[in-house]
Amino acid sequence: MFLITDLIALLAANLILTQALGTSTLFIAAGNRKNLIWTACTITVFTTVGSVAAYITDRNLPEKYSDYSLLIYTLSVGILYVILLSALYFISRDNFAKTRKYIHVSAFNCAVMGTLFTISRKASEDSSLMNLGSYIRAGFEAGIGFILAAVILTAAYRKLNSVKVPASFRGFPAMLIYLGIISMAVYALK
Amino acid sequence: MNNRKTSVFDGILGDNMVLSSLMVISPVIICGDTLKNAEALSYAFTSVTILSMLIASFVPKKLPYTVKIIIYAMISSLVYIPVKVATQEFYRGAIDRIGIYFPLLAVNSLIVLQSEAKFFRMPRAKMFFSLFFYVVGFDIVMLLTGLIRELLAYGTINGRVADVDLPVSGLSQPFGGFIFLGLMCGLYRWIRSLVSREKKEMRSEPYVSDN
Repeated sequence: MFLITDLIALLAANLILTQALGTSTLFIAAGNRKNLIWTACTITVFTTVGSVAAYITDRNLPEKYSDYSLLIYTLSVGILYVILLSALYFISRDNFAKTRKYIHVSAFNCAVMGTLFTISRKASEDSSLMNLGSYIRAGFEAGIGFILAAVILTAAYRKLNSVKVPASFRGFPAMLIYLGIISMAVYALK
Repeated sequence: MNNRKTSVFDGILGDNMVLSSLMVISPVIICGDTLKNAEALSYAFTSVTILSMLIASFVPKKLPYTVKIIIYAMISSLVYIPVKVATQEFYRGAIDRIGIYFPLLAVNSLIVLQSEAKFFRMPRAKMFFSLFFYVVGFDIVMLLTGLIRELLAYGTINGRVADVDLPVSGLSQPFGGFIFLGLMCGLYRWIRSLVSREKKEMRSEPYVSDN
């Protein structure tokens, strides 16, 4: 029962199904299961580590300079982007060319930037969430939510791209309608 | 001349960034439920994208790819600040309604991904011409989505009551946005295949057999 409650909570706060954040990335990566898993994992790293930068920014940036938060988030994600690429290069130079694409795709996308803004907005509405632990947990949950949505899409990917689907609706349009139906179910759960 | 004409219609019909490539769809799905939101988003997207790309086109090409992407994102984040101030003047209350999707427009995939993959490979004049029509393509979809969803979900047009007796309130929700955009995508592909007779190209798109 506890697991079911947690699963429902995770679905209800899912950044793709309820906020449509990172949908394009999900669709692009969905063509290949390996791509999808690696992209989802890289996004989780970005949302989790990025949430630390978001916490430091929100904690220290005066209210009157709040318009600059996007600039600071972008700079933080940019620094993380370079660190992850450098780490990947030093860990395995042989696989660097193959795996760097996941970092390129994941860095500046709506899933990552949207998560940072969502966490920040929730913390500004509820001061009990203005602590590092809450930020990291929310960032990690957002990444897990992306993985969950990826699994849900993967389950139907073959059918949605089947020749039995009319040519005009095959692929992206069918995937959008499918996600819409799943999103409707999640809306009913909330 | 022919090339130029093709590039003009590419952004609007042939390769619409929302309906064909599914770029920048989050604001369309979530915030495109009223015409007022759609107007504010179109204005912000047009301003941020064109100004950012204009400035970013002067970034040296010899820099490493990652550095260029970070610089482009930083430029658009800077351009976002005056655009936000102007939006607060022109569209009062719009930023509160749009919420987190407003800053997200500044790091859209047209700026951070397509700039390097497509636009900055073109001669500068052609690039701006092409970019302009890609942005117009987004604006058309955004406004059309806002108009139809507002009419069907709330029975109003731009906040004024319209004589419509079939409100479909679900269209104002995210799931309504997903389904509506999916239907628009399908309709767009059907029209595109009729106009350009590209049925052969559509069949060649990747699919997986059920067998």
